Amino acid sequence: MGINLAGIIFANVGEENFPELTSNRTMASVPFGGKYRLVDFPLSNMSNSGINNVAIITRKNFHSLLDHVGSGVAWDLSKRRSGLTILSPYGGHSFGHRIEAIYHLHGYFEQLTEKYILLTTSNYVANVDYQKMYERHRKSGADITLMYKNMPVSKNAHDPLVFNVDENDVITQILINPQTEGECACSVGALIIKKDLLMDLVRNCMSKNTLDFRKHLLQDNLGNLKMMGYNFEGSISLIHSVDEYYTENMKLMDKAVRDEIFNPSYPIYTKVRDDAPSKYGLTSVVKGSLVAQGCKIDGEVENCIISKGVHIGKGAKVKNCIIMQDTIIHSGASINYAIIDKDVIVGENKSLSGTDSYPIYIAKQSNI
Amino acid sequence: MYPKQEVVAMLLAGGQGSRLGVLTKKLAKPAVPFGGKYRIIDFPLSNCINSGIEAVGVLTQYQPLLLNEYIGNGQPWDLDGMNAGVTCLSPYQAVEGAEWYSGTANAIYQNINYIDRYNPEYVVILSGDHIYKMDYAEMIAFHKKHEADCTIAVIDVSLEEASRFGILNTYENGEIYEFDEKPAVPKSTNASMGIYVFNWNKLRKYLIDDENDPNSDHDFGKNVLPLMLNSGEKMFAYKFDGYWKDVGTIDSLWDANMDILNPHVSLDLKNIYSRNRMLPPHYVGPDAEIQNSLIADGCEVNGKLEFSILFSGVKVGKGAEINSSIIMPGAVIEEGAKVLYSIVSENAHIGKDAVVGGYPEDYPDRDQWGVTVIGDGLNIAQGAVIAPKAMIDKDVEV
Repeated sequence: MGINLAGIIFANVGEENFPELTSNRTMASVPFGGKYRLVDFPLSNMSNSGINNVAIITRKNFHSLLDHVGSGVAWDLSKRRSGLTILSPYGGHSFGHRIEAIYHLHGYFEQLTEKYILLTTSNYVANVDYQKMYERHRKSGADITLMYKNMPVSKNAHDPLVFNVDENDVITQILINPQTEGECACSVGALIIKKDLLMDLVRNCMSKNTLDFRKHLLQDNLGNLKMMGYNFEGSISLIHSVDEYYTENMKLMDKAVRDEIFNPSYPIYTKVRDDAPSKYGLTSVVKGSLVAQGCKIDGEVENCIISKGVHIGKGAKVKNCIIMQDTIIHSGASINYAIIDKDVIVGENKSLSGTDSYPIYIAKQSNI
Repeated sequence: MYPKQEVVAMLLAGGQGSRLGVLTKKLAKPAVPFGGKYRIIDFPLSNCINSGIEAVGVLTQYQPLLLNEYIGNGQPWDLDGMNAGVTCLSPYQAVEGAEWYSGTANAIYQNINYIDRYNPEYVVILSGDHIYKMDYAEMIAFHKKHEADCTIAVIDVSLEEASRFGILNTYENGEIYEFDEKPAVPKSTNASMGIYVFNWNKLRKYLIDDENDPNSDHDFGKNVLPLMLNSGEKMFAYKFDGYWKDVGTIDSLWDANMDILNPHVSLDLKNIYSRNRMLPPHYVGPDAEIQNSLIADGCEVNGKLEFSILFSGVKVGKGAEINSSIIMPGAVIEEGAKVLYSIVSENAHIGKDAVVGGYPEDYPDRDQWGVTVIGDGLNIAQGAVIAPKAMIDKDVEV
């Protein structure tokens, strides 16, 4: 039994200040945590919450996304009567704004039998039970329920969204990029709304050519609609920039964070790759690191995230790094504070170093 | 009507594997975990799809639950095709009555209908307890080239070992003239690997003949192959020179696992597929020391690891020491525990400061030493000491 809720994931939201990893891929397909892509989190959460119909809306750079999600079978979203759909621009329509995309995809929305829609972005890492949020939405009688987390406003986000909520979680004010200090009710990019209401609001915005989702669909309607906040109490990482990408990845070194995000009762699924277990050689020295399968480690590794299929040669020293899949670091190389994208080759005895506040980024397929 | 398949593979997976003791108490031998994330049956199943064989019947009998569930629809091995795929074949009831599989040949005999519906030219018989990578397509090409009725894969073993195997004596061109089952004085070192290619029309006839013979044990090696040879069928030996190991005993299972860690052994795990648990990458703690080991997803390693294999989701506490051991999925090794030259089964729990097994060099009398085995889900209490060579099948208190 599913719930009366369909999921929509926006694959490109939040890319503005994160060109390093998103100039050739969607935010949704940014690698994370050694074996995942960011879209694995919303997809797994939706699947674990009993949502059977999920669409990913993407406007550009979606090759890696298509390759990753395939038929959706890895998330149990490849069903005869429902499942995963990828929605990309067609017929020359612009998907530049979320409102435009939803408007032009009205055909998809109309055929959905679900009465409620969950909209999320794909730049978050968390283990979320959307069923609880849905139940709260139904019980509270809200028109729109928006998920938030009490935390400091991201300095890297493009126009971050902040709510003022009263003691009953009713949203009294919606602020965009406010000057604040300390913890606020920050939007984490997820909301639940009735499908018919969403389509009405979208058509209304289109007719007035007011296309900013946050400003025009949310902020401008706060007076007419009942909007409720939904406080997410778990651990959540929001990613808007390469700095946040680095620090949020590194949070996985904390066992409590790992245990919460990778809760075995609500697993995070990803595309299966048939890697063998990782092999540690006679000369390997590995401390405080997260290592995926298919790796071959003969060098020194400390405080790193090592993704699947990475090779680290004898005598290489890799510290405080995120190394993405199938990258090869030859013997004697020395790397500190770096984010190294997929399929990079770092030659023998080469040296690379960033700093703790400014990790260097090495693009996909570079040969150093 | 099923579309024709040129080749159908039949995988014998019903044996109990009693020599593996507690490891096969609740599961069939082919389902025994191997190599950090696999089960033994992943090797023949992956070999099938990598050889282009798309119809595979798996003959199950002993403790089939886990095996049936593991194989499922065959999707991890790409054996979930529209017209073919993997099918688990358990003994069944028919008009004439119900019968267990009474021998390897009888198991195939009882499933003649399964094979017939694909109308194949060739049938490949495989066993579910060997670790090897082989392209069966090359063996079938050899079989066709020699216009054989039956081809048997052989591997060169040492003369000392030869007495433990079925030995095939051949002419120079590979044609078999004699079978020698476990010969005291072997004439050659061509050991049968238990992999056979048959022309289906021939095998079908001999299976029926064998079934009607009241004195037969209905076994391929003992009955069907000698019957075919004596009837003048053309039988060839196909030499295989890759890695191959029968993992039917605790020692050979332990050896084959250790072979993965040995850079001088030509067993790589590329293109071996398996059904995976969805677990995050493994975490190596700040105090861990890991050398020459294999670690799967979901492990948390805080101790010292040498020459060992950790399957998915294994937890190793601070100060724990694991040497030359195989730790199966979900097992927990608490702080300060020592696990030496041992096999720890799925979800077993080794308490704090417990000692399991020992180093061979500490036992001058080699008869007192051996690989220690801890059964599935057992609890070894804090501080308990388990001697080398022990096979533990119930919880151990101090």
